[in-house]
Amino acid sequence: MIKVKNLVKKYGSFLAVDHLNFEVYDGQILGFLGPNGAGKSTTMNILTGYLSPTEGDISIDGIDMFEEPEKAKALIGYLPEKPPLYLDMTVYEYLWFVAELKGVKKKERFEEVKRVIELTSIDNVKDKLIKHISKGYKQRVGVAQALIGNPKVIILDEPTVGLDPAQILEMRNLMRSLSKNHTVILSSHILSEVSEVCDTILIINSGKLIRMSSTEELLSEFTVEDEIILSVKASYKDVFELIKDIKGLKSAKEISNDGTVTTLSITWQDTGVDVKDEITFKLAANRISIVELKKEKKNLEEIFLTLVEKSNKVSDEEGEENAGYL
Amino acid sequence: MQAIYKKEMKAYLHSVVGWLFMAFLTAFIGLYFFYANLLNGSPYFGYSLYSVSLIFVLTIPLLSMRIMAEENKLKTDQLLLTAPVKTWKIVVGKYLSMVTLFTIVMLASCILPLIMTKYGTVNLKMSYVGILGFYLLGCAYMAIGLFISGITENQAMAAILTFVFVLATQLSDSIVGLFNSDSKSNFVVFTVLAIAIAGILYLSMKNIFVSAVSFIVIELVMIVLYLVNSSIFDGLASKLVTGLSLVTPFADMVSGVFELKSVVFFLSVIIVFLYLADNSLKKRRFN
Repeated sequence: MIKVKNLVKKYGSFLAVDHLNFEVYDGQILGFLGPNGAGKSTTMNILTGYLSPTEGDISIDGIDMFEEPEKAKALIGYLPEKPPLYLDMTVYEYLWFVAELKGVKKKERFEEVKRVIELTSIDNVKDKLIKHISKGYKQRVGVAQALIGNPKVIILDEPTVGLDPAQILEMRNLMRSLSKNHTVILSSHILSEVSEVCDTILIINSGKLIRMSSTEELLSEFTVEDEIILSVKASYKDVFELIKDIKGLKSAKEISNDGTVTTLSITWQDTGVDVKDEITFKLAANRISIVELKKEKKNLEEIFLTLVEKSNKVSDEEGEENAGYL
Repeated sequence: MQAIYKKEMKAYLHSVVGWLFMAFLTAFIGLYFFYANLLNGSPYFGYSLYSVSLIFVLTIPLLSMRIMAEENKLKTDQLLLTAPVKTWKIVVGKYLSMVTLFTIVMLASCILPLIMTKYGTVNLKMSYVGILGFYLLGCAYMAIGLFISGITENQAMAAILTFVFVLATQLSDSIVGLFNSDSKSNFVVFTVLAIAIAGILYLSMKNIFVSAVSFIVIELVMIVLYLVNSSIFDGLASKLVTGLSLVTPFADMVSGVFELKSVVFFLSVIIVFLYLADNSLKKRRFN
């Protein structure tokens, strides 16, 4: 659906995008991941025809962006980093204008605007001036605008920024439902967010492609051993005596001890026995109370940081100011 | 194009700007008409318009400052430039919205010469040629204002630059009068001009080498010309200004001289500046 060949973008002598190559297939949800300043927005701006690359080619559904820009642009709906909203229009007026701008026929315009308003659930603000609605709603109007004309490709630059947790969940569901009929590219600097929604993740740093692989592959590669954190009202010795015989247990380390509560990190191999259950039963049988028991989650952000740091080491000369901070 | 045009018309008419522009212009035309043509009984409506034309200094920037700069500032240009629309259609749509407001005022003022016929003999052809000249001058300034608005993100900056440009054009004849017409002072004027050109080249290309070379080339050519035949430079500055001035053909038209070449001149100015505005819009993609 989208082919990017050898994409380079220079701002003066600063290399924002450095020989990027990738391909996105029909119906894929691609997550664009990278620290701030990695070149995500620049790449998206080039993909949508807003910026011209210094070198390289882009084709959307076989149509070259630079030879037939109008045709290629008609296939794309784009939400830039800052939603392009006219603050003095009402939401409805604005969407009507976008529909007209994108060449939606007059007969279909009413239905189309209604459709995107329903999809993004902004019906209750549609008659308000855009300058009077909240940031979360502005973001959704921005998405609604991108959906108008039902383009094959939808490109969203950090679509969940500024939304509250409930709205983020809604937005994720929306993006998932979009992927049924569209090819979706979205960007974020938060890996957990991208991995929630996307089936493929593309990581860039300092304008370079670091990694492009399926979400599952990326996550499984970096899986840490199963680990639980256990806090109990007992000494380390007592607890260790009790649990050392549990099948599959690999290690039990003391992390902290404040006199009454001891915290341990426990790891084990998967042998089919539920180690958590076993530990709870044994402690309960000995009347040792558990303050907290939690499964340590695989830290996605660490995967991302590891990859980014690796790439920074490789290209040390230009690394420092673009070092991966989140 | 239609979508942009409608959007801009709404923006002008939903805010105070469009109304202010029309009210201001109508009021001034009305004032001069009342004072010069009715009270003092002058039969020349064109001469009133000639005096009114100085008000373009304020009304053109008022109308044109936001037309492109606002989009650049709010980043809504991202919407326009990623929509399946050719850039020249965006420019023309916006330009036509400004021209529409101006046309409304000018159509209204077409009644004024007819009112004058009630009180005496009026050369109607002369009056309407004057109105046409005034209209074309305003349209040309609007195209220039649109271009200036497109090269900046800052509306105030666009307003100031347009103000200075319109003012300088309006006063160009008297400014030229300040220069001596002898070849030596003209040579100095053109040297200053060459420095200005080199400066603009440097600002737009950030290449000191190109601008230095172009300055040296221009200067050398001028020195050679001066040594060979210094009389070329006699009054050259004023000839150049009169040749390029928007006011010269306008002055012709308000005094009733209808020449096709004046109309063609105004139309070419409009087309050139709209073309430049379109180009600067396209060029933003390469920055």
